[in-house]
Amino acid sequence: MAAEAVEGIRQPLVTPRVRRWLVSAGLAAVCCIWIYPLLWMVSASLKSNAMIFANEGLVPSQPTFENYVKAWNQANIGAYFFNTLFVTVGSVAIVTISTAMMGYVLGRRRFPGRGLIFALIIFTIFVPQGYTIIPVFDLLTRLGIGQSLWGVMLATSGGSFVIFVLLFAGYFSQMPNELEEAAKMDGVGFVKTFWYVMLPLSRPIIVTVVVMQTLYAWNDFLLPLVVTLANPAIRTLSVGVYAFKGENFVDWGGMTAASTITILPVVILFLFLQRYFIDGLAGAVKG
Amino acid sequence: MSGLSLQSVKKNYGATPVIHGVDIEIEKGEFVVFVGPSGCGKSTLLRMIAGLEEITAGDVYIGDQRVNDVDPSHRGVAMVFQTYALYPHMSVEQNMGFGLRMNGRPRQEVAARVAEAARILQIEELLDRKPRQLSGGQRQRVAIGRAIVRDPEVFLFDEPLSNLDAELRVATRLEIAKLHRQLGGSTMIYVTHDQVEAMTLADKIVVLRKGVVEQIGAPMDLYDKPANLFVAGFIGSPKMNFLDVTVSDGSVVLKDGSSLALTGTTKAVPTVLGIRADQMRLASAGEGAFSGEVSVVERLGDAEFVYVRTAWDQEIVVRVEGGSNTPVGTTVGVVLSGRTHFFTGDGLAIEGLSLTRN
Ligand SMILES: Nc1ncnc2c1ncn2[C@@H]1O[C@H](COP(=O)(O)OP(=O)(O)OP(=O)(O)O)[C@@H](O)[C@H]1O
Ligand SMILES: [Mg+2]
Repeated sequence: MAAEAVEGIRQPLVTPRVRRWLVSAGLAAVCCIWIYPLLWMVSASLKSNAMIFANEGLVPSQPTFENYVKAWNQANIGAYFFNTLFVTVGSVAIVTISTAMMGYVLGRRRFPGRGLIFALIIFTIFVPQGYTIIPVFDLLTRLGIGQSLWGVMLATSGGSFVIFVLLFAGYFSQMPNELEEAAKMDGVGFVKTFWYVMLPLSRPIIVTVVVMQTLYAWNDFLLPLVVTLANPAIRTLSVGVYAFKGENFVDWGGMTAASTITILPVVILFLFLQRYFIDGLAGAVKG
Repeated sequence: MSGLSLQSVKKNYGATPVIHGVDIEIEKGEFVVFVGPSGCGKSTLLRMIAGLEEITAGDVYIGDQRVNDVDPSHRGVAMVFQTYALYPHMSVEQNMGFGLRMNGRPRQEVAARVAEAARILQIEELLDRKPRQLSGGQRQRVAIGRAIVRDPEVFLFDEPLSNLDAELRVATRLEIAKLHRQLGGSTMIYVTHDQVEAMTLADKIVVLRKGVVEQIGAPMDLYDKPANLFVAGFIGSPKMNFLDVTVSDGSVVLKDGSSLALTGTTKAVPTVLGIRADQMRLASAGEGAFSGEVSVVERLGDAEFVYVRTAWDQEIVVRVEGGSNTPVGTTVGVVLSGRTHFFTGDGLAIEGLSLTRN
């Protein structure tokens, strides 16, 4: 009996360990293809314009930081960097706080018109950015911030607002009622309960929102392009990098250096926060 | 400390009535247990006292103040939730002091009151931990601690032991009883569906069913003199045996035709005879009120529950001394030697009626 049973089990061709190695190697190869453009960009930023098309492979033979210095000082990338930082930090603060508050109310309170508000804000997801840009610009102009970084910051805050509200609403709605009730028994009011109990507990969503809004604000192109059209001094990085492309000549070295400067903070942010970020998204899917 | 009074309290959820007019008087310092099957409205009633549910009709008084429209935090009540409801991101100390801190009490006062509660509950060494680093029993203490810190007139407990394992439940039950004495006999209202908890803890038990009070009384009163079939069946373990009977001139007749003489007079017509497992004896077949076949024996050590299948195919449980070794399958006689209860067709208890001893 026992012998038969053992014979009946088919021995695998490779052990699970070897299989894991094979899978990892395969994925690494795919990954290399995936990030090749990125590697090319970093590599090109370390070469002079002449060397870029000299077909020497990814590792530069005479690495130089000249492009970076040039981009930072002459092409104003330094100034653009701080413009972008200002817009990003401001919009992340605005978006995180306001979407958390909206999500809390929509997720946990039953009030007349709640369904309608939900429907309306979800509807706005389906309106493409291209169509909203002119009304948004008009609105900013009327508010007197059509030509300033404050305007860019405010307009950028609108980007994925609805998604974040829904993330928060979903998360808050699955929190146990008892927590709020306990706070109520303790005589803690609505706002304080939100601030001291609910908000700290929504950390996974906060991290997700911070990361996604940072990415969005940092990389957004169309809106800053329109707002800064008349005022190059307040360009953001994504718009500034575009300016390397002249009429007849493209400064590839400068452009790739500027692009690398643009991307680096985002990559670093992701490396630090990826664990929370993935938790938050997974949590949102579960909820 | 204050007493409490509920006067024709009703609760509807939408159009559905859940509590149908409840009157309960609770004395200062009393330990009152609301008990009843799942869904009978115990939690709803407790939450109305706490102020977490609106009161549809009727009045709730705490002390001599009507509190229907008073904010929960101003009613002088503290609640311990079944799920503990500890704030997961705060340490034990912060959890217990949260309410006081948020209401602007001075730091030293908060610290002193938390320390005092921690001392009473013997959780001083846990103060720096987060709730997730605590065992179920410890979380339970912290939840109670959070209530104690508020120094309430009335403690409300909603099934506080139901998330604990059997052993811890017994231990914590004792702790709560001790706590009641230790806190200078504060008024406590305790909700459970476990009648053993009710019997062991309560000064006064309120038995609820489907949003109606079935009976209020001291534990042994309910045990000895249940007002109706429901209370008789609910209080006491194992459940009271109910035998259908008919009456014919001064006797009750069981389903198998055996007749038992009655003492006492009443206008009411008994249709059910109730008798607890420990009020019967086993005898040899043919003796006693009726006979049956032993179908199961549960051994508890000090006692055994013998299940006897009667001629009319009902299972009766009889408590006998441990180690009796009654074999399954034998035919035995059942002697109704002890206290009996009689109920009318409407399920109401009939006073002053018993079996004639011979
Ligand atoms: N928010 C609500 N909306 C509608 N009906 C409710 C609501 N809360 C409770 N009920 C109903 O009210 C009745 C009483 O509920 P309650 O929670 O008080 O029962 P319980 O006695 O505490 O039961 P358990 O022992 O299971 O906790 C139940 O039938 C329940 O379905
Ligand atoms: Mg309940």
